Amino acid sequence: MRIYAVAVYLFLYIPIGIIVLFSFNAGRHASDFRGFSVQWYGKVLSNPFAMEALTTSLLVAAFTAVFASVFGTMAALALQSVRGRARAIYDAAIYVAIMVPGIVIGIATLIALVTLFGHLNDALALLWPGPPDTAPRLNLGYGSLIAAHTLFTMALVIVIVRARIAGMDRSLIEASADLYATPFGTFRQVTLPQIFPAVLAGFLLSFTFSFDDFIIAFFVAGSETTLPVYVFSSIRRGVTPEINAIGTMVLGVSLTLLVIAQYLLRQRRDTDTGAPS
Amino acid sequence: MSSKHQKPMTRKQFMRELRRYQKGSVTRRHFLGVTGLGMATAVLGAAMPGLAPRKSWAAGDIGDRVVLATWPNYHDAANFEQFTETTGAHVQVNVFGSNEEMLAKLQAGGSGWDVFVPTNYTITTYVGEGLIEPLELAKIPNYDAGSFEPRFSDAGTVDGTVYAVPKNWGTTGYAVNTEHTGGKALTTWKEFWDITREEFSGRTMVHDYQLTTIGNALKYFGYSFNSVDPQELADAEKLLLEVKPHLYAISSDYQPSMRNGDAWMTMCWTGDGKQLNADIPSIIYVLGTEGGEIWSDYYAVPKDAPHRDAGYALINFLLEPEVNAREVLAHGYPVADSRTNALLPKELLEDPILYPAQELLSALEFGAAATLTDPNRAELLARFKSA
Amino acid sequence: MTSPWVKRLLLFPATAWMIVMLALPLLVVVVFSFGERGPAGGYVPAFTFDQYLNLPARLAAFRNTLVLAPVGTLLCLLAAYPLAYFLAVKVDPRWRTLLLVLIIVPFWTSILIRTYAWIFILGGQGIPRLLEFVGIEGVRLINTRFAVLTGIVYGYLPLMIFPIYVSLEKLDKRLLEAAADLGSSPAWAFRNITLPLSIPGIATGCMLVFILLMGEFLIPALLGGGKVFFVGNALVDLFLQSRNWAYGSAVAATLVIVMLVTVGLYMKLMRRAGAQRDDVSLF
Repeated sequence: MRIYAVAVYLFLYIPIGIIVLFSFNAGRHASDFRGFSVQWYGKVLSNPFAMEALTTSLLVAAFTAVFASVFGTMAALALQSVRGRARAIYDAAIYVAIMVPGIVIGIATLIALVTLFGHLNDALALLWPGPPDTAPRLNLGYGSLIAAHTLFTMALVIVIVRARIAGMDRSLIEASADLYATPFGTFRQVTLPQIFPAVLAGFLLSFTFSFDDFIIAFFVAGSETTLPVYVFSSIRRGVTPEINAIGTMVLGVSLTLLVIAQYLLRQRRDTDTGAPS
Repeated sequence: MSSKHQKPMTRKQFMRELRRYQKGSVTRRHFLGVTGLGMATAVLGAAMPGLAPRKSWAAGDIGDRVVLATWPNYHDAANFEQFTETTGAHVQVNVFGSNEEMLAKLQAGGSGWDVFVPTNYTITTYVGEGLIEPLELAKIPNYDAGSFEPRFSDAGTVDGTVYAVPKNWGTTGYAVNTEHTGGKALTTWKEFWDITREEFSGRTMVHDYQLTTIGNALKYFGYSFNSVDPQELADAEKLLLEVKPHLYAISSDYQPSMRNGDAWMTMCWTGDGKQLNADIPSIIYVLGTEGGEIWSDYYAVPKDAPHRDAGYALINFLLEPEVNAREVLAHGYPVADSRTNALLPKELLEDPILYPAQELLSALEFGAAATLTDPNRAELLARFKSA
Repeated sequence: MTSPWVKRLLLFPATAWMIVMLALPLLVVVVFSFGERGPAGGYVPAFTFDQYLNLPARLAAFRNTLVLAPVGTLLCLLAAYPLAYFLAVKVDPRWRTLLLVLIIVPFWTSILIRTYAWIFILGGQGIPRLLEFVGIEGVRLINTRFAVLTGIVYGYLPLMIFPIYVSLEKLDKRLLEAAADLGSSPAWAFRNITLPLSIPGIATGCMLVFILLMGEFLIPALLGGGKVFFVGNALVDLFLQSRNWAYGSAVAATLVIVMLVTVGLYMKLMRRAGAQRDDVSLF
């Protein structure tokens, strides 16, 4: 079992090792190793396009993950007590939100939003007290991108949290209610701790999905460029190690944060329980 | 300098701009421009030419950003920095993989682009669909029509109106690693398709692009690269379906496979051919003697560009010969502007890959608008890929 | 939570999202699918069934997808289950969070970059080169169905591991201990305790992976060398290359319907297998 686990982690990390290795390539081309160099890191750090794309992606992924996990959990909790036709409609919507391929939802969202914004902008211009050309205009950008990513990821969170709720020990909630706990108190002290792993898993999946999505962002990001869009358009005419350097840096930063978080969590747990767990 | 900035500004506005400048949220150029201090500098500059803003693109408040949709590895980043320094507008670059993608994004709307780089055969489509605007040439004084070779600039003019000004040009041929041909150089598209079914089986790549893949299959039979004739397309389809089992891949990202030796031959654009040949001399770039594609890229301004003035300023900046020469040195594609060419090193202008011999060039065809939008060619490629 | 007011409040954001970001775009797809392609691509309003009648032209793409998506899902499940079990049951809890997050970390580098790494590993300089050292010549891995399936397992593993882990993690280990004390074999305990408890996780994982695979286009394009053609690839080409949005919409609508039917059948099967208690909706 342990050997198998090691094998899976190797499977997951060998390509990562290759990416890291080639980021130190002195040559211009990612697949052709010509000696060791850190020049590509310097190139990335001084490349405003890459850095801007990275910032955009991080921002979008963070907002998406927060919205999706909060709204998704809320909906999953509420749906427990929804029955009948309303429930069927919600269930169908959740399935469909997950099922529609990214390319379809990307272009359809783009067309729908462009049309919608067109009408809204006309209305805004009419209602605007100042000269019409100074009226605020809705445009595609961060907002539409986060909204589009949140649709799919929120549905994912609902699914994951619901699976957890389904297996939850309901007697605890009933006991809590019998003991005159407020519904919110019950939620905070009984429900939330039980569903938390699922919410966290949903948060991580949402962040990952948003950070990694290319096709939806390609359509609905307006003039913004996310990292996958930047990478996709750059690599189609030759992969330079710059792309590997970006990947390695993102990985390095996330691993560092992870180690710090793990360390802090363990410390807190140790002080909470007074003993190493 | 635009009239807008000769109007005196109120004290309050001045202080606000000063604070923005101090906080670093606007550049010095922007500050000088909007406050009118730039006027003073300009007047001084007239007396002392060294101080003068170098060209008209430096003048006026054009906003703080400009969005450019272009191709990968097609610009010198240092030029954009200089543009930002002199105008205060930050250049935001979106890069694309095909003309169709650009067209799809503009057709869907909400692109947010101010300038983009279409290829010759797409321009009439953009005009027909009402997606681009006629250029205000007065805003692009650096565009001197007379110094451009007409065949690389005339696709920008539709019905006598200029919609686009030329950027670079190039060809579509193929790259072949002569290590595997016994050193023999190939010369025709017929050889390309024949050898793929024999010695090169499993080693050839074709573009994931209907225009070039179908076009070069048509050349096997000596038909036009742009043919939309059903019978000729049927011949090309038969050839493609026959060849498919022998292909290494259908992909427009061929450099990695050519470099690591998995692929021996691929359809190839000028710049890639040049880069492959420079690093691995046994890979040569071939223009089929039957012909093939020659293309020319342009700058154009989409309708409803959000930062229109900045877009024009950017085009004008990039067309300045010194700037354009630096661009060429960075990306390696030829330009048709004699003023720019005068600044380029001789080796570059004599390079046979970038500037092929005249008899090879004259056999080439520009892609046609109908070739791009023909639904039958699109369906043919889908059948080829899913077969 | 039973108060209708609270319930409505809780559901409001999700409902708003479903209407603006899902119903509206889907309406666009349906309307477009009855339209026509403009002469230069795009969409021209019309009311015609031509797009649907023309669907057989993408039959090969549907066939490829309907074969490779279930196979890929199954491979993912086989690869993921032991690891999820290991993480939920066997591993020291102190390391659990770290190990879980380590599964997802590789996915914080772009899928494109990772897939390019696979192009290298499976390409001539990668595994085939290693095989040459042990005397096996002429192996071709890249641009085959094998490469596509490898990429699929790699890309979708976490989506399978997480739901299974979540359902196994709830497993009361005392049950297993009790079973062992009562003399039942580990195999019996797995079949009768662990596996039934993890069915909701398996169902969720398979569903997610299958559904996403049905719309996949990057992995076949990159690791299949453009020669393995999924419906996703057909859609990308239709929307981005030939810009036949009307036909693309019809293909998309059909794909969604095919998926709904498949998923519906799957749910029925699961239910008949008795995997669902009545308080568990599919997922």
